[in-house]
Amino acid sequence: MNPYGETIQEHFRHPRNYGSLEAPDIRAEDVNPFCGDRVRIEIAVSPDETVREARFQGDLCMIARAASSLLTEMIAGLPVASLAGIAEETLLDALGAEIQPARRKCALLPLTVLRSGAGEWQRRRGE
Amino acid sequence: MSHETFELIDRLRAGGRRAAMATLVRTSGATPRKEGTKMFVGDGGSIFGSVTIGGCVDGRVIEHSGEVLENSAPRLLNMQLGDEEAWEIGLTCGGAVDVFVEPVTDSMMRMYDDARAELEAGRSVAITTVLAGEGAGSRTLLKEGWPWPASSNTLFVEVLRPRPTLLIFGASAVAMPLIPFAKALGFRTVVVDGREKFASRERFPDADDIRVGIASEIAGQLEPGPSTAVVLVAHDYKIDVPVLEKALAGSAPYIGLLGSRRRGAAILQMLRDSGVAEAQLARVRNPIGLDLGGESAADIALSIISEVVAVMHGKSGSALSGKKREAVLQTT
Repeated sequence: MNPYGETIQEHFRHPRNYGSLEAPDIRAEDVNPFCGDRVRIEIAVSPDETVREARFQGDLCMIARAASSLLTEMIAGLPVASLAGIAEETLLDALGAEIQPARRKCALLPLTVLRSGAGEWQRRRGE
Repeated sequence: MSHETFELIDRLRAGGRRAAMATLVRTSGATPRKEGTKMFVGDGGSIFGSVTIGGCVDGRVIEHSGEVLENSAPRLLNMQLGDEEAWEIGLTCGGAVDVFVEPVTDSMMRMYDDARAELEAGRSVAITTVLAGEGAGSRTLLKEGWPWPASSNTLFVEVLRPRPTLLIFGASAVAMPLIPFAKALGFRTVVVDGREKFASRERFPDADDIRVGIASEIAGQLEPGPSTAVVLVAHDYKIDVPVLEKALAGSAPYIGLLGSRRRGAAILQMLRDSGVAEAQLARVRNPIGLDLGGESAADIALSIISEVVAVMHGKSGSALSGKKREAVLQTT
């Protein structure tokens, strides 16, 4: 029995965009303080301020790893200014399975990290 | 051995008195301690360390230390270890030891300070001591790559190696008692976890190093080598699998994984699926530790550190009493 569905399994076993970038413009990392999922997201930004490349790295459970993989695929080419607006439900829907309330924080950790990194980049741009 | 020597030197300095240093320089037969073991005897009667684990040899060394301090000249003592007791209980002999006793000097202490600096930088050293004849007691410090000194004298060569490292992944309840056990045994201790709340100085006051971050990335950065034992006590596959992958790429002689045999098999299967070779997987010790019984965190930690020590010394960790009986049965 597979409680998570094919998408999560596939992205867990074959994560997209796993690794790091040589000189990322955005770099953010965070941890779930209780279960210990920790993820770092790195983004290279194009001159037109869209996402040129995204990578993630971390020690992650199946759901958090799949969510990180899907999220880095999802944001390719998007304006950095739009990243903070990605809805939680968009990512949860992309996972293709019902995520129990206790595991939502696993699924949403990469989105939290992405928002933090994009926000920090925009603040630096504004200074 | 190195850490014990330096602990004794620190205690001697805190006392601040004249002292003699006794070093076990040769052993034969059944002797409980190894060459290089030291004892310091202060002129006020203070004693730090021992060259045996009992019997009257230490007492005789203490007696001779007084003479050495009085004459400011070293002496090489040859002693039969427990001969009288051996004869009295019906055995033929004990072992024999040579103990070199010499006054502690400032230059000797400076040399050990230099040696300690090398060890802390991760490099081994050797200290040669002339045991007899002209120049008895004179020393030379040899650093890695330095040429061997030309000498026609009988030399004792004391090899000092950097402290082994215990790398603990998972700042769990089991990790907490592991630290004091490992420290007492001379290990440098490093705790790694992704969570600041767990890998805190409050929970691990005696750890030499606490690293918080992506555990598998830290495992790769630390490059576990031949003097490192790796212990995984997170009991969490998202840590265990990637950390094991990194640890198995190094040459650590001990890699232990907390958890049942069933859980361990599942973790190893995940590593196998990601391409780790069988020969590498066979290096993982799971369930971790020796079979000591007990269920508390301290019980488990003791079981783990016992297995680490046995493996680092190339031993099985089985009961000595069982070995003795086997040996006696074979000779009768």
